Amino acid sequence: MCTSSVCACNRARQRDGIAMTLEFLRFELREQLRSPLLWLMAGLFALMAFGAATSDSIQLGGSIGNVHRNAPTVIATWLGLFTLLGLLVITLFISGALLRDFELGTAELIFASPIRRRDYLLGRVLAALLASLLVYVLIAIGIFVAPFMPWIDPARLGPVSLRPYLWTFAVIVIPNLLFTGALLSLLAVLTRSILWVYIGVIAFFVLWGISGALLADIDNVWIATLSEPLGLRALSRTIRYWSAEERNNGIPALGGYLLANRALWLAVAIGLFAATFAMFRTERSGTGKARRSKINAPAIAPSHRPALVAASLRVAPSFTAATAWRQFLRQLRFDTAGILRSVPFLVMLALGIANFIPSALFQQSMFGTTIYPVTSQMLSALQGSYSFLLIIVVLFFAGELVWKERGARLNEVSDAMPVPNWVPLLAKFGALVTVILSFQAIGALASIGVQLGRGFTQIEPLLYVKTLALDSIVYVLMGGLALVLQVFTNNKFLGYALLIVVVVLQTALGLIDFTNNLYNFGSWPIAPYSDMNGYGHFLTGQLWFQGYWGLFLLASLMLAEAFWVRGVGMGWRQRGLLARQRLQGGLGAALAASVFAFAGVGGYLYWNTNIRNEFVSPQQLMDRQARYEKEFGQYRNLKQPRILASTIDVDLRPETQSMRVHGVYRVHNPYSQPIAEVHIQMQDDKALQSIELGGAQSTLHDEQLGYRIYRLDRPLQPAEQRDFTFDLDFHSTGIGGQVAQHQIVENGSFVNNRSFPSFGYDEQGQLTDRNERRKRDLGEPTRMPKLEDEAARANTYLTDDADWITFKTTVCTTPDQIALAPGYLKEEFQREGRRCFRYEMDRPMLDFYAYLSARWQVKKASYKDIPIEVYFDPRHGYNVDRMIESVQKSLAYYEANFTPYQHRQVRIIEFPGYQSFAQSFANTIPYSESIGFIADLRKPDDVDYVFYVTAHEIAHQWWAHQVIGANVQGSTMLSESLSQYSALMVMEQEYGRAQMRQFLKTQLDRYLSGRGSEAVEELPLYRVENQQYIHYRKGSLVFYRLREEIGEAALNRALKKFLEAKAYQQPPYTTSAELLGFVRAEATLEQQPLITDLFEKMAFYDNRIDEAMLTANPDGKYTVTLKLHAQKRYADGTGKETDAVMDDWIDVGVFARGSSGKERDEKVLYLQRHRINSANPTLTVQVDELPSEVGFDPYNKLIDRLSSDNRRTVTL
Amino acid sequence: MLLIRHLSKTYSNGVHALNDVNLDIPRGMFGLLGPNGAGKSSLMRTLATLQEADSGSVELEAADGTSIDVLRDKDAVRRQLGYLPQDFGVYPKVSAEDLLEHFAVLKGLTARKQRREVVDGLLQQVNLWDARKRKLGTYSGGMRQRFGIAQALLGNPRLVIVDEPTAGLDPEERNRFLNLLAEIGENVAVILSTHIVEDVTDLCPTMAIMNRGQVLLTGKPNDAIAALGSQVWRKQIAKSALPGYEANHIVLSTRLVGGHPVIHVFSAQRPEEGFEPVAPDLEDVYFQRLRLQSRAAA
Repeated sequence: MCTSSVCACNRARQRDGIAMTLEFLRFELREQLRSPLLWLMAGLFALMAFGAATSDSIQLGGSIGNVHRNAPTVIATWLGLFTLLGLLVITLFISGALLRDFELGTAELIFASPIRRRDYLLGRVLAALLASLLVYVLIAIGIFVAPFMPWIDPARLGPVSLRPYLWTFAVIVIPNLLFTGALLSLLAVLTRSILWVYIGVIAFFVLWGISGALLADIDNVWIATLSEPLGLRALSRTIRYWSAEERNNGIPALGGYLLANRALWLAVAIGLFAATFAMFRTERSGTGKARRSKINAPAIAPSHRPALVAASLRVAPSFTAATAWRQFLRQLRFDTAGILRSVPFLVMLALGIANFIPSALFQQSMFGTTIYPVTSQMLSALQGSYSFLLIIVVLFFAGELVWKERGARLNEVSDAMPVPNWVPLLAKFGALVTVILSFQAIGALASIGVQLGRGFTQIEPLLYVKTLALDSIVYVLMGGLALVLQVFTNNKFLGYALLIVVVVLQTALGLIDFTNNLYNFGSWPIAPYSDMNGYGHFLTGQLWFQGYWGLFLLASLMLAEAFWVRGVGMGWRQRGLLARQRLQGGLGAALAASVFAFAGVGGYLYWNTNIRNEFVSPQQLMDRQARYEKEFGQYRNLKQPRILASTIDVDLRPETQSMRVHGVYRVHNPYSQPIAEVHIQMQDDKALQSIELGGAQSTLHDEQLGYRIYRLDRPLQPAEQRDFTFDLDFHSTGIGGQVAQHQIVENGSFVNNRSFPSFGYDEQGQLTDRNERRKRDLGEPTRMPKLEDEAARANTYLTDDADWITFKTTVCTTPDQIALAPGYLKEEFQREGRRCFRYEMDRPMLDFYAYLSARWQVKKASYKDIPIEVYFDPRHGYNVDRMIESVQKSLAYYEANFTPYQHRQVRIIEFPGYQSFAQSFANTIPYSESIGFIADLRKPDDVDYVFYVTAHEIAHQWWAHQVIGANVQGSTMLSESLSQYSALMVMEQEYGRAQMRQFLKTQLDRYLSGRGSEAVEELPLYRVENQQYIHYRKGSLVFYRLREEIGEAALNRALKKFLEAKAYQQPPYTTSAELLGFVRAEATLEQQPLITDLFEKMAFYDNRIDEAMLTANPDGKYTVTLKLHAQKRYADGTGKETDAVMDDWIDVGVFARGSSGKERDEKVLYLQRHRINSANPTLTVQVDELPSEVGFDPYNKLIDRLSSDNRRTVTL
Repeated sequence: MLLIRHLSKTYSNGVHALNDVNLDIPRGMFGLLGPNGAGKSSLMRTLATLQEADSGSVELEAADGTSIDVLRDKDAVRRQLGYLPQDFGVYPKVSAEDLLEHFAVLKGLTARKQRREVVDGLLQQVNLWDARKRKLGTYSGGMRQRFGIAQALLGNPRLVIVDEPTAGLDPEERNRFLNLLAEIGENVAVILSTHIVEDVTDLCPTMAIMNRGQVLLTGKPNDAIAALGSQVWRKQIAKSALPGYEANHIVLSTRLVGGHPVIHVFSAQRPEEGFEPVAPDLEDVYFQRLRLQSRAAA
């Protein structure tokens, strides 16, 4: 290779520059194309692209639901992402092209000939770029052919076109290639070391990830999109609000964020190339300017020289039992020190810390508000942003360690030393473990530093130790396996390749429904951590599986020990013979013992997970759902008894995570026909010990699906009442295959009545995913009944088992815990050493209740004569006062504007963060520890979401617990959107309008991006089918604007009348259409079309200020002339848009800058609603002071997809 | 001290690396001479427990007079062994002192104080004391070889094996290195393999010549030279005549003197006019044995 390279330049010598460049290019390209590495890596990446694009499990660019798998935006996103991953490959090409001559020593031959640096460099770099481009073309081919595979559902494909590929190559791939190529060239030229180039690449990856955190803050869009060199964020930002229709057909216009980003980074690329050419030196490394001369200076040893004692040299070692142990420790220390001092390790450490600190400093949970750096949260940040780098560390250094002696050509020396065979491998394994622990310990110190730096002193050192030790096990296993594979293959690259196969299998097996932890190396049910409950009972399963894989590793290590290469020239035959020899002693016995132990633990686990418990894979679970629908779907309209009263006796045993329930349902038959069959549905069939229906024969019992049919001896006659009693026993049996249940836990149980028996077929149990349904011949998903479906109004959207029930309950728990349920405490007493509480609700409530038990601290307050209680973990008292204040202010607003609060008490109860929501039951509001209890509300600018969420949950006591919608479209608008509106009003009273805008902008953003991933059909608000982005996000926007248009008083009047008319009603239940009737009655004739727009259509605005002119008048006042653009369009369910007639009242504002320069304290000079009924209106406004900014819908009250152009600065 | 009997080894590619090797190696320096690929390294590695033999036996006399079966009882051999392999590298970022200390522990010198003394002493003996804190990556070839011998001497070995240690050293370094070896050779068995004849001439009281896996000669160098007697002849010839001489005579060596080849020829009588007798040296012995072997093979 080197000689022909010299030939190339000799031949080139006589020619002019361009020809010379071409010669270098041709030569280098030939070199690159001949290299198997290029084809291997290109093939690998093309396969990855193909695999990802054909798999349902990996989805990008919104390729879900209604977006085609080959939609242009999906293609662009895929290819864009591969320009990031591809960095790993093109690094090889670039550094190969630029460094090869220096490494092979041919540089001196080449540069001694009269060639120009520029031609050489240009030719080489161009060749490397072309080779890289080839890789991307292969990747594109992989993506292109993927949709044609037979297993791809043709319903999810759009028309085939090359245009999106061409666009992506022109706008994304080639500019990115130029930028990354330039960056890598500069790195290669500056450092002349592949290692450092790779370190640079890793740094790039990490920085890329960090800069992503910026995007979370919506105000930083320009910075976030411009700062990302690959244009991926600019692209995703551009298509963020696109509907499915647009995603399927549109190619992003090259403008805005995208154009600016591309232009910026192309310019940077040119700059980097220029720097590369300027910095390129042809001298040998080390002969340039003596920047690093310090390293080469010989260390002068101290002159003290001990007298040479010849006899001392004759010291013969003595070999005792301790010798081998000392040798082991020495080797361990030596190998560990080698890693800890090595550049790759230090670089990973530095990158990890650089990645961790910002993510720890700006941990957020909702609305950009930070949380307190409690240890458990810091640890989860540490695991996600720092510890994961250990996987690279251990996999890399496992190879390095095994090949350390051979790499340094020291193996013959060390192999001939009197060291037992077991020492080297065990010492290397020990070194890996020590490295892992050191890395984790440094992370813990950094984390504690962050905590202290933020003034947080409740540090839990023991939790650090526990969590990081548990977290390290996976790295120890992977590192150990890497060692074993290196030893077995006895070939570094084969060892690494096998390791990659293992890593790929770990993910791939899960994707193809092989999810059992028993055969997926290093997998186990991961114990979730909660401050309230610690690791709790979840740890048992995890530790057993970790022990199982630990034994596997132990056995593998011993086998590797037997095959450990000592000496030279060992073939497989010889290694086999040697292994047999070595296994004859204690090693063989130990191996046999560990294999037995592994098999024993495996057998025990199999017995637990697959025999004592049932193991159901995700696909099997969906098959069951399909069978449920096929077999029992026929009963969906079967008339069943309805519950009038529930009397439940619960014996909760948090210490064993079990629960016994004795329940009585008083039922009746409200229908005109007798009920002869009772269908019982259980979520967990084996929990139902007995059920007594007043005499009945079991005619069907499907244990798998938890479905039972009983024929009543005496049919339940119309209007007849009867008691059904049942006994439940919930307990776990041994170790399950998946993460254990989180309802009944040691501290912080939270169980609701969905696990109790219910009547009849439950549509909630059906399979909803369209594609999975299609695979199982189930047809289209069952949608919510239409708004006009009168029959469906017989039930609320929550249940078809009951209307309003009378509720009484007793709940017992351990003596040191409090147990809670809806209702009022009638009595607290002891029963068989248990602490028991009897609760009774004094008025009918929904058939929806929960039980909670934990060791809480209780804070009491009141609003008027209504007691308020907050039950919280003693360590989480930060925001309890805030919650209480929110309850008080909410109750005040709702009672003043709606109807009286129906209960005599409000309780907020903290539960472990296994789920993160707050939920309103009658007078009882469970509230997850992960949302709000640890929010850091000390900064006045942050959204006080604790206040907000509390107000929302209190509002549910009206919106759901007083008036509840029928089981038809639009019902969640009645509970969720109205709760959002109510909370917004309380919030606005507390914080004023300024914070409203910040909040509404978040809602707008989430609504618009939620549309793009709609899987079925976007619906107008009043027909919402439990779609969260509609009933929460759009609901807030719609009601806020409605309030602006018809006024708060009118809207609240409508709501009050609606409540008065519909609260606690019996079937038929109310609907969103009925609410709209009340709203319309309070609105003027002129406002009716607006109500139609808001609730019954999907209207979008494109409003902006095209031009703003400011003139100073002679009287000291100012005139602002605004040229506006206004447009309204209606979208259909997939996002197809049609023009609408613009006739709306829209805010026009003129503002002066306040003292901070921020919007928060800007001064409003003018704010009026204008009627806009043309596309390009011009307005003139007079103001008294010098304005700085003008706005058209300045507070973003309208649903405008580009909200940032609604304001514009003005100057004279 | 070391008895090698019928030692044979064939590699999987069919190369007969050791072919019925029999050697008696006494205390002191033992030279193992042979061209590249003669089987020297295979023999050395077998003795150093790094390679298995197919057949034969090797016995090493232990300090207490018992004998050790080198091919079976590898651990016992390793405790008596100092080995400097032919292709010897170092960790470039570790200092000489640290690496030597590390090796000392592996050699079984686990007592800290004792180990320090040994390491310091050896560093002085090999004249690396002043450079002991330097990273090994900055060492010259000679310094590296001296470091190699220092590690081989750790733990007072009874058998020291040095494989091609002088290749690539400049004359001064080579001398220094050989002197060092000679010092050690007074007490223990030192096997020095080399393809440089002078190394053996200068140092070794006993020696063996190997080629193609076979021992061609074993004994004292002087005896071998004496046995060659007056059968070596020298002549300066024209370059064009060389092929003719090579075809008709046993040409031991060809050397250019003033641009014209001077050949040594092995012959009982004066081969022809113009040849003059020369006193043979070890090199002549060496080439004579090689030529005889290749003739026998042909």
